[in-house]
Amino acid sequence: MSTELVRVTIDERDVHVPKGTGIVETALAAGVEIPVFCYEPRLGAPVGACRMCLVEVEGMPKLQTGCTLTAQDGMVVKTARTSERAAQGQNGTLEFILVNHPLDCPVCDKGGECPLQDLTFRYGPGNTRMSFEKLTFEKPIPISPTISLDRERCILCYRCTRFSEDVSEDGQLVAANRGAMSVITTFEDLPYTGAFTGNVTELCPVGALLPTQYRFEGRPWEIVDVPTVCGLCPVGCNINATVREGKVKRILSRNHPEIDEGWICDKGRFAYTHLFAEDRLTQPLQRVRRHGLEQVSWEQALDEAERLLRAARGRIVTVLSGSETVEQAYALGRLLRVALDSHQAMLPEEISGALDAYRLPLSAIRDADVVVVLGDVPVVERAPVVDLWIKSARRAGAKLVHDADDPAVAEAERIVLVWSGPGGRGGATIAQLAEKLGLAGREGCGAFYLPGTPNGRGVADAWAACCDEEGEAVEPIGLLVVSGDEAAADENVRALAEQAEATIVLSMYGGLAAGWADLILPGTSYLERDGTFVNLEGRLQRLRRTVEPPGLDELEWISQLAARFDVDVAPYAAAVFAEVSERVYGGLSFGEVGERAPLRGYPDAPEHVGREALPEPAQKARKGEIRLVAYKPLFSGAAVERVAELQFQRPQPELEISAGDARRRKIATGDHVTVGSNGSAITLPARVNRHLRDGIARVALEHANGLGGVVEIAKAEEVPSA
Amino acid sequence: MSRFHDEVQAIRARYPEGSRSAALPALRLAQEKHGWLSRQAIEETAEALDVTPAFCYSVATFYDMLHLEPVGKHTIDVCTNLPCALCGAQRVIEAFESELGIHAGETTEDGEITLRAVECLGGCGYATVVAVDDRYHHSVRAETVPEIVGGIDGGT
Amino acid sequence: MAEHKVLLAGADEHDLTQLAEYRAIGGYAGVAKARAMTPDALIAELEKAVLRGRGGAGFPMGRKASLIDRKSAKPKYLVVNADESEPGAFKDREVMGKVPHRLIEGCLIAAHAIESRDVFIYIRGEYLTEYEILSGAVEEARAAGIFGDVEITVHRGAGAYICGEETALLESLEGKRGQPRPRPPFPPIQGLYYAPTQINNVCTIATVPVILEMGAEEFAKTGVPSSPGTAIFSVSGNVARPGNYELELGTPMRELIFEHAGGIADGRELKAVIPGGSSVPALTPDEIDVRLDYDSLGAIGTFFGAASLIVVDDRCCMVQLALRSTKFYMHESCGKCTPCRVGTRWMVQILESIENGTATHADLELLDSVGDNILGKVLCALGEFAVYPVHSYLHKWREEFVAHVEHGGCPFAGSSSLEGIFAPSDQHAHTPAGEEALV
Ligand SMILES: Cc1cc2nc3c(=O)[nH]c(=O)nc-3n(C[C@H](O)[C@H](O)[C@H](O)COP(=O)(O)O)c2cc1C
Ligand code: SF4
Ligand code: FES
Repeated sequence: MSTELVRVTIDERDVHVPKGTGIVETALAAGVEIPVFCYEPRLGAPVGACRMCLVEVEGMPKLQTGCTLTAQDGMVVKTARTSERAAQGQNGTLEFILVNHPLDCPVCDKGGECPLQDLTFRYGPGNTRMSFEKLTFEKPIPISPTISLDRERCILCYRCTRFSEDVSEDGQLVAANRGAMSVITTFEDLPYTGAFTGNVTELCPVGALLPTQYRFEGRPWEIVDVPTVCGLCPVGCNINATVREGKVKRILSRNHPEIDEGWICDKGRFAYTHLFAEDRLTQPLQRVRRHGLEQVSWEQALDEAERLLRAARGRIVTVLSGSETVEQAYALGRLLRVALDSHQAMLPEEISGALDAYRLPLSAIRDADVVVVLGDVPVVERAPVVDLWIKSARRAGAKLVHDADDPAVAEAERIVLVWSGPGGRGGATIAQLAEKLGLAGREGCGAFYLPGTPNGRGVADAWAACCDEEGEAVEPIGLLVVSGDEAAADENVRALAEQAEATIVLSMYGGLAAGWADLILPGTSYLERDGTFVNLEGRLQRLRRTVEPPGLDELEWISQLAARFDVDVAPYAAAVFAEVSERVYGGLSFGEVGERAPLRGYPDAPEHVGREALPEPAQKARKGEIRLVAYKPLFSGAAVERVAELQFQRPQPELEISAGDARRRKIATGDHVTVGSNGSAITLPARVNRHLRDGIARVALEHANGLGGVVEIAKAEEVPSA
Repeated sequence: MSRFHDEVQAIRARYPEGSRSAALPALRLAQEKHGWLSRQAIEETAEALDVTPAFCYSVATFYDMLHLEPVGKHTIDVCTNLPCALCGAQRVIEAFESELGIHAGETTEDGEITLRAVECLGGCGYATVVAVDDRYHHSVRAETVPEIVGGIDGGT
Repeated sequence: MAEHKVLLAGADEHDLTQLAEYRAIGGYAGVAKARAMTPDALIAELEKAVLRGRGGAGFPMGRKASLIDRKSAKPKYLVVNADESEPGAFKDREVMGKVPHRLIEGCLIAAHAIESRDVFIYIRGEYLTEYEILSGAVEEARAAGIFGDVEITVHRGAGAYICGEETALLESLEGKRGQPRPRPPFPPIQGLYYAPTQINNVCTIATVPVILEMGAEEFAKTGVPSSPGTAIFSVSGNVARPGNYELELGTPMRELIFEHAGGIADGRELKAVIPGGSSVPALTPDEIDVRLDYDSLGAIGTFFGAASLIVVDDRCCMVQLALRSTKFYMHESCGKCTPCRVGTRWMVQILESIENGTATHADLELLDSVGDNILGKVLCALGEFAVYPVHSYLHKWREEFVAHVEHGGCPFAGSSSLEGIFAPSDQHAHTPAGEEALV
């Protein structure tokens, strides 16, 4: 779009817009609404399919679709408000759309928030002239365990198929047949699988594609949508949690144009039922001698915690998950460091402050000329929405390369670097690369490190900010405090717990630490917390309590415990944040964080976070060798494991191998292969991935059986019996 | 890799890189190989074209000549569009129905012949037009139907 | 006026599918002539000839070439529309089957004009024999080194009328479902693979060598000034001698039907002529004193279309005619835009109720109004092609529609020539395994 302004007249009102602006947007600028169904600019070029947006344009004999027109100087447009012909066209279209639409609005989950209902209400005919049989289909049919399709309600706007084809590029949701018999479908009866499928339920302008979890769960006047931020990965997509009677019923996107453009992944959308998991802890559990755990009251639990803390003063080690809010981490720090003089912590991961010089909003990826993706974990598994930005960059003509020495990099103006996977030293590696390429201060250039945790950076900031003292290594560990389910699920942490005299675990689920904790305090979900998160861009965002947690929230009991040690910790996120902010975020107030948080720099942020980078050189495979990358899949973790409807999304036990490596070993997709190193081996079916580079093989962590590093891969002599 | 795969790569090479222009020729090839576009045929085509099976399926269901259901070894397509119908295509198709003992849209029990009523075949001046395995017979009348059926390999 | 063969010239006497024979009658001379000219000069010559597109819309071919964005950094494409699927049309098939080299020659000349090196001929999938002849000719000409740096690819469709619509054709050629694109952008700016593309009908391109041979000035003197040249008219239906007749544009329709095509067959009476393929408004017997060219037909409210006349005699029930016609367009609707997808099916339902006697007078108004809601509101013209003829039957033969309503059924009582109305059984209703469409 050019910057040249042109004058367009819409219903006798003049507006000036940049040349090439869509007429739907131009009309909006003039305060006129042109109704649309198929038009959705986020899906790429308009298709002009539904014909709802018909307008009259001076000098053109036929009605035109507003959605496909762009602003030209002197254009005179009349919408249905001022043009009899346009109104007729629109009424005719609406009548056609309703011809086969069933009258099941009273039992339709979309009812009340349905664009078709709204437009029919506003413009539609009061009666129908259609007296013949409507098209009928079996309904609703599941197109996956999470999404159902009602073909009778479908108005064939092709939004869903365009999403599948042109945004997520999964190519699975398609139209079949033609003419009146056209239907939306997947291939055969395979479920619609992928990281982003749920977005089609929001794109659908009628009740054809709906989330099965929300079926008959609420009417629009009974619900509230609470704006918050997803806490399941480091992107921090902006979301709304639909709440009815104190329960989360649905997660919707809440378009932050710089972060997510209104797309969220299926984990963020569908995993909320982890809140209602059967093994969700609502009461503290305490070990009673050797007979295992027993439910105790909060009062008892806090007494026990106080006893354990007192006993281990100075010898406490804290393990953080990186899924705590900034405020939780700070409050814990106040309790354990200030009150109990125990400074040693295992932070979830290193995050280098050097990245700050290359800070960009994620949306800038779309405008890149070249995107360099390093690290060997698929971007979609670490930070799903980043993958969508990279895809949209590629569709816009950007080159995607996996080697910073690629000649395309030297020629490009706008260069974006992305590090996805271990071995990146918390972003230090990629920051160095950015420095070498001279990207600092260059327009459209930047670097992103995709951390493994949602708020690793915020947690590190807060932990560092709460106390100036440094402790010494603790040996032996008097008390291990494990915060969060991710940490509790970590095998290394369990090993530590064995060495510790006692262990306190903060966990949402009892099962995780049942065998080894002495005291388990029920944790909360990100959906139940007030506070802030720092995402992978370095953007500080606001989490809102969408529903009450079943027990005390962390700030509340930390505050109570701290009081027993004469340390002041406010039980409210706003107050805690104010303290952190004073030291880290330039005194920004809680209220100022914002509903759609901007990307700010924080000049006073301590340089601390780049604690000594771990010497973690990526094991370079020599020519002919293959390095196995065992990655943590998107669909994994404590929350996902507790959502039955998401199990079909979990990765298959299979080994991804590059086309070249497969050819050399005469391996084809479906063949069984043995993967081995140091005497241990696993046998898995192989899948040849043309997009994987030679020398790398990939497997989901849960199927890796502990293997990693350089491995031998060969076609299996014997196929294991299932 | 299979011969089918190689053939598809040869077709792809005729079109600009990265385009999906080989989709129709590849689906046609798969259909020739399998007789119809079975699930396996579609999956093989998708693999050779580097697209999803759903994409191939979606394309295939758009076109009349691609079969998503099994068809006979031979196909008889009778044009029933206006110009042929004005000249009696109805009687021609009825003659085929009684000759073959099936209705239009069906396949003979032995799986040999599928009879279909189709839209204009582009031979309107020579009604009725009948395509047997895509070869046109012009000016077909009810009386000439047995001869046509008899001329098909293994015809009943 | 006698037949005037220029497009089909020589085909009766020689086997012009053979390169040698085509050369022997002076074939491919136009290529050398054209290549000696600059593209600009060539386009100017083509513009002077006012060769109006034979695919239906009648847009001048030379002007279209002048719109090609030749400065674009992208490749330019020439695409020949050989999808010929309009009921009543079978002229392109004859050209490809009899004079394939004339079409290829036209491609090479047109490619030179728009500075294209890639020509695609999209031939409907059903034309197997013609595909073989044309591909054979392409091979032969390529082997003879006539192409120079141009490449011609013959691409087969797979059975979908809509792929004759130029943007649907491009989508199909790109390997997708053949659904039209919104325009603008028009193909000369953004066509095949989003690059500048010239699309023309087979007969349009096959006429290009004729222009080079005659010179644009001479060419423009044939036919009528607004539409010079000849056209191959396909005549079908109830005439004594149906077939293709190449005649100068401007030939009287009566002459074509009653002299060349031998008049109405079996001594019946003329009832209607659908002059441009089944998609255009029909003419009554007292409207056929009209010249066969774009403007003359346009002046009486119909279209030149595909130069294909379907002649209907007095045995035909016009409601059945409307129903069979609409069933075709319903079957061929691509399903992308609402009015066509929904409207054609609704029209079929209304027409069925008229034919079987359950309709009321209000349904006749409804039929009219549903058509109006399609006209001018669709993404491509297919939806309108469904309506044009039906509106004309409804208005010009209204008493027959009314009679159906008043008799509670078809007044022809089983004697109509269309009785039975067979339509394709396969309605593209494949449903994925485990699901069933309950139509
Ligand atoms: C539904 C529909 C079907 C069409 N079918 C054909 C066709 O089979 N052959 C053809 O040449 N043009 C067909 N056209 C016209 C083309 O869109 C286009 O105008 C033509 O190919 C341009 O070539 P010309 O300028 O040489 O006529 C069709 C148009 C529509 C709307
Ligand atoms: S008018 Fe018919 S064929 Fe044309 S785009 Fe619309 S649905 Fe498709
Ligand atoms: S919104 Fe313009 S055609 Fe659908």
